[in-house]
Amino acid sequence: MGELFRPELIPDYILKISKAFPKTIEILLLSLLFSLLLGGIFAAMGMSGKKALVKISSGWIAFMRGVPTLILIFLLYLGLPQVLKRIGIDLSGVSTTTFIITTLSLSASANMAEMMRSACLAIDKGQKEAALSVGMSPAVAFIRIILPQALGVAIPTLGNNFIMLFKETSLAFTIGVMDLMGKARAVSAVNYGATKLEVYVATAVIFWVFCFVFEKLFKFIEKAYTVGRKA
Amino acid sequence: MDWKFIASALPKVLAAIPVTLEMALIATVIGWILGLLIALARKNRIPVVSQICAVFVSFIRGVPMVILLYVAYYAIPIALTSSFGIDTSGIPAIAYAIAALCLDQAAYSSEVLRASLDSINKGQLEAAWSVGMTTPQALRRIILPQAFAVAIPNLTGLFTGLLRGTSLAYYVGVYEITATANLLANPKLNFIEAYIITTVIYEVLSLVCNNLFGKAEKKIGKFRPRQAN
Repeated sequence: MGELFRPELIPDYILKISKAFPKTIEILLLSLLFSLLLGGIFAAMGMSGKKALVKISSGWIAFMRGVPTLILIFLLYLGLPQVLKRIGIDLSGVSTTTFIITTLSLSASANMAEMMRSACLAIDKGQKEAALSVGMSPAVAFIRIILPQALGVAIPTLGNNFIMLFKETSLAFTIGVMDLMGKARAVSAVNYGATKLEVYVATAVIFWVFCFVFEKLFKFIEKAYTVGRKA
Repeated sequence: MDWKFIASALPKVLAAIPVTLEMALIATVIGWILGLLIALARKNRIPVVSQICAVFVSFIRGVPMVILLYVAYYAIPIALTSSFGIDTSGIPAIAYAIAALCLDQAAYSSEVLRASLDSINKGQLEAAWSVGMTTPQALRRIILPQAFAVAIPNLTGLFTGLLRGTSLAYYVGVYEITATANLLANPKLNFIEAYIITTVIYEVLSLVCNNLFGKAEKKIGKFRPRQAN
């Protein structure tokens, strides 16, 4: 400690660490996909009106909101293989990336479910009734009338969730995945940790820039999508 | 399941709860006060300060917590030593973790509070002025109670998020719940038991906090502005 801060090293580190960006994007997009699917299932359960299903859905959401992602990663990566080994399932061949994607999908599914549920509830009940009254089946009414409107409502929240998920991918390094953060630690280890601060500032800048880009992207999508739709 | 391990580890992990709570509470108090100041500065468009705050908020919101912790952990000692010549070897790691969590809370709470201040009708401030209150008086007696009542559901979310975020302090060497569980699990690889303990503790903590905030919400709820028609 006590060495000087050398900001002139940062641009070079940004280039080096950015090489791990495809890995981060892979984790981000796959987790997004699976968390949306899972979230959809739990949102549907939450709106089904069946008491048991509603309980399961709200219990899942409350559980996932209470447990830190880091603990979930450890639980799945270190704990689960131990349990499954006892019943004869070997998880040693599963890659760390798969574990991270699984964990992030599970933890993000709670927010995704809440997002979908509140977006559907935001649509006026009369819309569904009107659709049914002109002879649409409930499924058709959902796909043609409710879903397009709910999507518009959900886009800002989806943007938030997307950015949150992007930031959570930084936890992949905890089990040794070479994402942005993992790469940063590797770069820092090359010079025996002498320039840790510069390395982490460089990583911070990368995340900041992409969060900014994603934010603008979702604003654009929202605008493009809601043109002529929002009352 | 190794019940012996659970029995011996549980008291030790429980003993680490105060460390987690200490980080969360200090970060909340200081962070939310800072957040309120940022919100007021940005709302009143104070030149320079407001722009600096905007960049600060955008930066903190764009950077993952774990990187923020690392940056605070390495940057603060260098800054203190090079600009004030302070010997930082005696400062415990938890201080850096708290500093990072404070900044995080300041940025997020400023956004929540800014939105809730915006939701208060402008006429409220004008009415307070018209009965002779100064701006600070009007803020304290009229605006802030209402804004706080609007903000509290979102602040609850922030606090439980912070509680989960404290688990990352493990990476800068703070012995809170997660780090303690990890340390105990390592020698005999009792990971599943250790993390089930931690999961349960975090769940209970967030349940209790949600309840407390729910009670506070009911109490402050009377200040909630009624819909003007």
